[in-house]
Amino acid sequence: MEQRLANTWQMTVNERKFIEMALAADLRVDDRGPFDYRPCTITFGRHKLKYLQFSFTNRVGGSSEVQLGETHVMSYVTSQLVQPYRDRPNEGTLSIFTEFSPMADPAFEAGRPGEFAIELGRIVDRGLRESGAVDMESLCVVVGKLVWSIRVDLHILDNGGNLIDAANIAALASLLTFRRPECTLGGDDNHELIIHDIEDREPLPLIIHHLPVAVTFAVFGEGNIMVIDPSYKEEAVMGGRMTITMNSNGDICAVQKAGIGISSSVIIRCLEICAVKAAEITSKINHANLLDSQMESFNDGRSIQYPNFHPVDVAIQDNLPDVIMNKKQIENLTGHLAALPLDALDRNSNKSGAVVVGTNTRAKFENNQARDGVPFYSPSNWDPYPRKLCSCLARSSLKLSGLPEDVEEDKVNTTQSVKVECGLEHTKGASSSRALETASEYTTVEATSQYIKAPKTLKDAVKIQNRKMRK
Amino acid sequence: MNSMPSDSASMSFVDRVVVPGDHVLDLTGMANQTIKLGAGLRQDGDAISVMKAGKLRISKPNKYWVESSHKRYVPCVEDTVLGIVVDSKFDNFLVDIKAPMLGLLPVLAFEGGTRRNIPKFEIGTLLYVRVVKANNTMNPELSCMDETGKAAEFGPLKDGYMFETSTGLARMLLSSPPCPILESLGKSLSYEIAIGLNGRVWVNAASPSTVILVSNAIMNSEFLSAAQQKIMVEKLMKRLQ
Repeated sequence: MEQRLANTWQMTVNERKFIEMALAADLRVDDRGPFDYRPCTITFGRHKLKYLQFSFTNRVGGSSEVQLGETHVMSYVTSQLVQPYRDRPNEGTLSIFTEFSPMADPAFEAGRPGEFAIELGRIVDRGLRESGAVDMESLCVVVGKLVWSIRVDLHILDNGGNLIDAANIAALASLLTFRRPECTLGGDDNHELIIHDIEDREPLPLIIHHLPVAVTFAVFGEGNIMVIDPSYKEEAVMGGRMTITMNSNGDICAVQKAGIGISSSVIIRCLEICAVKAAEITSKINHANLLDSQMESFNDGRSIQYPNFHPVDVAIQDNLPDVIMNKKQIENLTGHLAALPLDALDRNSNKSGAVVVGTNTRAKFENNQARDGVPFYSPSNWDPYPRKLCSCLARSSLKLSGLPEDVEEDKVNTTQSVKVECGLEHTKGASSSRALETASEYTTVEATSQYIKAPKTLKDAVKIQNRKMRK
Repeated sequence: MNSMPSDSASMSFVDRVVVPGDHVLDLTGMANQTIKLGAGLRQDGDAISVMKAGKLRISKPNKYWVESSHKRYVPCVEDTVLGIVVDSKFDNFLVDIKAPMLGLLPVLAFEGGTRRNIPKFEIGTLLYVRVVKANNTMNPELSCMDETGKAAEFGPLKDGYMFETSTGLARMLLSSPPCPILESLGKSLSYEIAIGLNGRVWVNAASPSTVILVSNAIMNSEFLSAAQQKIMVEKLMKRLQ
């Protein structure tokens, strides 16, 4: 008992009184404004472990780590083919699991999730599910028989206050970066399900319609003092809390409230503030995801298809750099492509031929420009490095996907980019994949793109009981 | 005695960062001398080797020790620390001092303390206390009196704000001559401060904004040099005006 007392964190009467007094004077202890978020860093990782032969579990995971001040949360997304629920035979499923590690806070116990862990999982789940953020119907493979089940695991690594917001951002970021293998119906009688290996066909991202962002308000005093993004000490002192999940379009996805009562005028004001904050955070997530996807396409050395990548329309911040590919650069690239031998490009099995690639690029770019009104770079169906890496092109592309220097607020993991540069420096003219193999931390790049495996069929991996049912 | 060649070799390690395994002193050339070894040093036959990572310090003529900075505190006798009352028993207050075990503060360890006037501390009271007994097997014993039995600033601290830092920063704040950050803050602001060697710092001032400014400045000054600390305080003062 005494040891437990020694290990728990104690708050002094002095701190409690001081925080309340300072908040009454509109001051926060860490010198923030009442509606300021702490600096937020979003890091991505994509795990491309080899597809196991007799397992249906998809080992390709998307993960992200979010550091919000002192709070550190990691999210990991995996998918699995399962039977759908009886009442929804054409929809996939999404489930959220939380793990509150005792290393995050001495108050967390290993084992069964406590009350707050369940509440946090529920808030994130409600924001994603009820608002229809993730498209469930696109996860259906065979109606009534097989659908993709998406599982999001949230790991709390460090509790510095405001776990809900950080966990929500982590879940969204990992869902954006997650890729699932492509499945087609094929085979002899067109009824066999072929799950394409991630090395054969590029895995597909999830269709995410919008990003529901959670914004937490801590309430003090008699329900009239509110601050956003409470720190650990503020959370210990607060009288109540309200979390509003909203997307950048202004749609309220969910509201969760705990603690002392808040008057309706205060709630309306919170909603107005939340709209602004949700837009800011959405743009941060999108920007980080964009930088990461550029790194990814550069690391892989081959084209990435983003047929379903919908960048959400947001209020653009002033310091958000415009990553655009101007016409001159496109012309350079397509000119280079035309100069490359045709057969080199043909080797990429499911990529289009040389001539088509050029026009595709331009068409896609113009489409994007027309759609948003803001020039937006989408890495579409171009592949400048089929086999050989031209150093001049590599350098110009480095500048293309180069990291903007004036990103103050969020710092995407730049270790990947640094390593890529070193790799390129040393190996000039070496094969692209080999050079970049050493560079990438998370992505394991295969040696050649011609590695062909027999496509897996349903019969290979299906369990015996299912086989009986099918007969 | 101080100009032996082995001394000059050890001089090269003093005030420098050492890591476990370093041999900092060669005893072969020093016969018939007494050297006092403090924390983090060990005699390894003919050499003194380091066991803890940190900076090697010397106190003339012959005391050596390794100073390191941690977030947890290891109690030492005669240290002054800030403790938080966690519980009160019949003859002891249980006080948390960021050590592996709770400290015990006898209810009579106050100036003029008798069974009749035992102070009443609620849970969460911040106290400035002195460590009387420290042993890694027993709970450390604390006292709110100095050796002579006078109160001497010990006891509960009222109002103000407390924050936690590393033990290294606390030692830097307590160094004499006064640490540059405290001096330059004191030139423009008036505040009172209590620093515990266990890494807890208490600040009080007339207005909450001063307290917040002082506490954030101290927390940010841990790895700054003296000149950088002064520049930071100047910038903060300009921002205030």
